[in-house]
Amino acid sequence: MSETHPPTFRRAVVALAGGPGDERIVRLVSELAKPSHGEVIAVHVVEIGWSLPLDADIAGRSEEIQSILDAAEGVAESSKMRLEAVLLQARDVGAALVDEATERAADLLVLSLPYRKRFGGDFAIGRTIPYVLKNAPCTVWVVREPIPEGEA
Amino acid sequence: MFVLVVGGGKVGYYLSKELIENGHEVVLMEKDRARADQIADEIGSIVVAHDGCEGKYLGEAGCARADIVAAVTGDDEDNLVICQMAKHHFDVRRTIARVNNPKNEALFRHLGVDEIISPTRMILGSIEQDIPVHELLHLAALGEGELEIIEAHLQDGSPAVGRAAGDLAMPEGCSLFAVIRDGVATPLRPDMTLRVGDKVIAIGPSECEELLHEQLIGDDPEAVTPRR
Repeated sequence: MSETHPPTFRRAVVALAGGPGDERIVRLVSELAKPSHGEVIAVHVVEIGWSLPLDADIAGRSEEIQSILDAAEGVAESSKMRLEAVLLQARDVGAALVDEATERAADLLVLSLPYRKRFGGDFAIGRTIPYVLKNAPCTVWVVREPIPEGEA
Repeated sequence: MFVLVVGGGKVGYYLSKELIENGHEVVLMEKDRARADQIADEIGSIVVAHDGCEGKYLGEAGCARADIVAAVTGDDEDNLVICQMAKHHFDVRRTIARVNNPKNEALFRHLGVDEIISPTRMILGSIEQDIPVHELLHLAALGEGELEIIEAHLQDGSPAVGRAAGDLAMPEGCSLFAVIRDGVATPLRPDMTLRVGDKVIAIGPSECEELLHEQLIGDDPEAVTPRR
């Protein structure tokens, strides 16, 4: 990778988790997409437990979920970029992100990772990121959020 | 159709795979995390890595909306518990259990499992069809299992040989309805004289097995083998 030229991509899928990391990765990808006119797709996946059918009307009714997508669109607009916001319902977030990136022929998939520790002090990476790292066909970026003050 | 499969061994794995290929919605419960991950890697995110014997996890796996629950673990006790919870707590319409020990079949039926599959019984039945046996052969169970179709292969020494079918003292609720002679099946008429080599097909409650045995096979104690 050249030090003077930022990485380019045609189509990036940005995974929205509904946390403070969303703004950071949407802004990052939007800025990087500008020069090459790359396409940015922000995906928020709502995990549906097996007690409900997959097509249960959950995500569409939730204002909180809509606000996650609206916030991402707002961040992209402030960078003068257009962003396609996608809402999915799935049994597993990691599998849904990989499927979406594959279907869209994305060449980049970006996720944020909050800095969290398990009980006992071990760093917790969750199960979505390992799944995506293992299965996504495209480049994957994981942007870890800063360590909260007092924990560093 | 939404099918909840409990047990991620060979049976559960291939059952789930086939069901998915046939367009059904499937969730598979497997308590061993490593095995659950392995299955998920192979057939997708349909695996719940929890013990299906716990009601809480059955609920999380969607038991309450399942059309069918199939308990196919290697433990009869677990399969029974799973089917009972599915049937009586989650009101699942149809429960299917794998029963490894044929001696447990009656208990499963008695406790309300809708359908039981016993690989051991199937193999046993298949073997018995190919060897001459001096006892009754169970061909199928009907209804809730209280009625059975039974075959008796008449040998030398059978008290039924040389007698008319109508002269045999049949236990109450039990009837002889067909005979297979020289490979040809015919309805059994009361005046038909039974011969060595005949295969007589009877239907009746499992309790009358002993009397049926006495009438068709004989009461040689060595020939009487408890079947259940």
